[in-house]
Amino acid sequence: MPWSFAEKCEKARSVEDIQAIFSREIRARGFSHWACTSHVDPLNPPNGAVMMFDYPRPWVEHFSAQGYARRDPVFLTARRQALPFQWSDRVFRRGLDAGQAAILNEANEAGIGDGFTIPIHAPDALPASCSLVIGPDGVDPLHVREAHWFAVFAHERARRLLLDLTPPKKPVLSRRERQCLELIAQGKDDFAVSVILGISEHTAHNTVRRAMQKYGVATRVQAFVRALSDGEIKLEDVAS
Amino acid sequence: MIHIVTAENRHLFRHALMEMHQQRKTVFVDELKWRLNVESGIEIDSYDSPSAVYLIEAEAPRAPVRASVRLLPTDRPHLMADVFPHLCSGAPPAGAHVWEATRFCPSPDLPKGDVRRGMLSRMIAAVMETALLFGIERVTYVASASLAAVARDAGWITEALGAVHGSGRDALVAMVAEIDAAGLRRVRERNGIGAPVTRFTPGDVARAA
Repeated sequence: MPWSFAEKCEKARSVEDIQAIFSREIRARGFSHWACTSHVDPLNPPNGAVMMFDYPRPWVEHFSAQGYARRDPVFLTARRQALPFQWSDRVFRRGLDAGQAAILNEANEAGIGDGFTIPIHAPDALPASCSLVIGPDGVDPLHVREAHWFAVFAHERARRLLLDLTPPKKPVLSRRERQCLELIAQGKDDFAVSVILGISEHTAHNTVRRAMQKYGVATRVQAFVRALSDGEIKLEDVAS
Repeated sequence: MIHIVTAENRHLFRHALMEMHQQRKTVFVDELKWRLNVESGIEIDSYDSPSAVYLIEAEAPRAPVRASVRLLPTDRPHLMADVFPHLCSGAPPAGAHVWEATRFCPSPDLPKGDVRRGMLSRMIAAVMETALLFGIERVTYVASASLAAVARDAGWITEALGAVHGSGRDALVAMVAEIDAAGLRRVRERNGIGAPVTRFTPGDVARAA
């Protein structure tokens, strides 16, 4: 699990710091480009938008000039879907119309070939996602999940820095919800969590769902990262 | 050519491994509707680790993947002990000389029928070659009733570890296969396989080249 990454993000004092930390870690894992942004025009972002990216400049300009923020199938899919998806995935490709397929072909020519998009949903943030482009030497599949955590950590930290948020005073999570999220962050699934806490798999699943609902987020990774950034879960309790 | 991919040479096969995990998502989750974790956008679970050995059929390390299978050491967490112990009437075979084969996945583009059966025979030969190479004496696996029959027809001497559970397409049975040179010869003869089907590309040699 990416604890040292989370720690570095927590210490970062500017969005530029986070951008540099994220870029270094992501490139070390074989990704060639990345964009962790709100779904807005990248060259004319509104206030509060998270805009961290390292994409080929000509593509960013083309994307902005064509108004692709409203039509890009990756953005549109990331708005409807909670879980990450790969751009070459058949289910994703089947859902595209000709215009959308054309946008992906243009991106391919600009050096954005295959990769993953991690949707980021929260009631108090602009729709956002993190896209990671697989570099020419490939990415080990074992690094994909890790990259998913990095992306959510980086986005959450950048959002907090931009909005200058302070953590809420009252805890949001129950003790049981906190325990479940901590175990999830250690790589356990519902079944393993149920065995460790002596509860049913069904209860474990629903407890995690309740924590996600409290934060209004759509994935377990995001729920954990929210709890961490609100200070309800301490890194030293999970990093082992 | 069926490539043997281990911790030592997996950096040469990143594209093939990624395609394998994507095919596993397409075949097991989208088509067969197995309830597996796809939280990363591909099908990958906690048993996928550097200690797993993968057999991947592809003309070259960067060519399209035609089929894959995952081999897990049984002296660490594996599915037969964690998920399928109820399929075994006794303790599941485990230890330094036992592997477990899981996630046999033909490419979603591979035609059904004879082509797919031929692929399975080659994969069985590949599992046996690889097991012999690594000093593995027995290989366990969980099969549907139809897959168990195809494996038997291919000449693999196998034994059920317990009763068949479930019925029809959902029927599952735990199996163990003994690995020896005579068995490999029999599988090759019965399936018209004249030469070794596997290749191991050492990680460091290719780096130097």
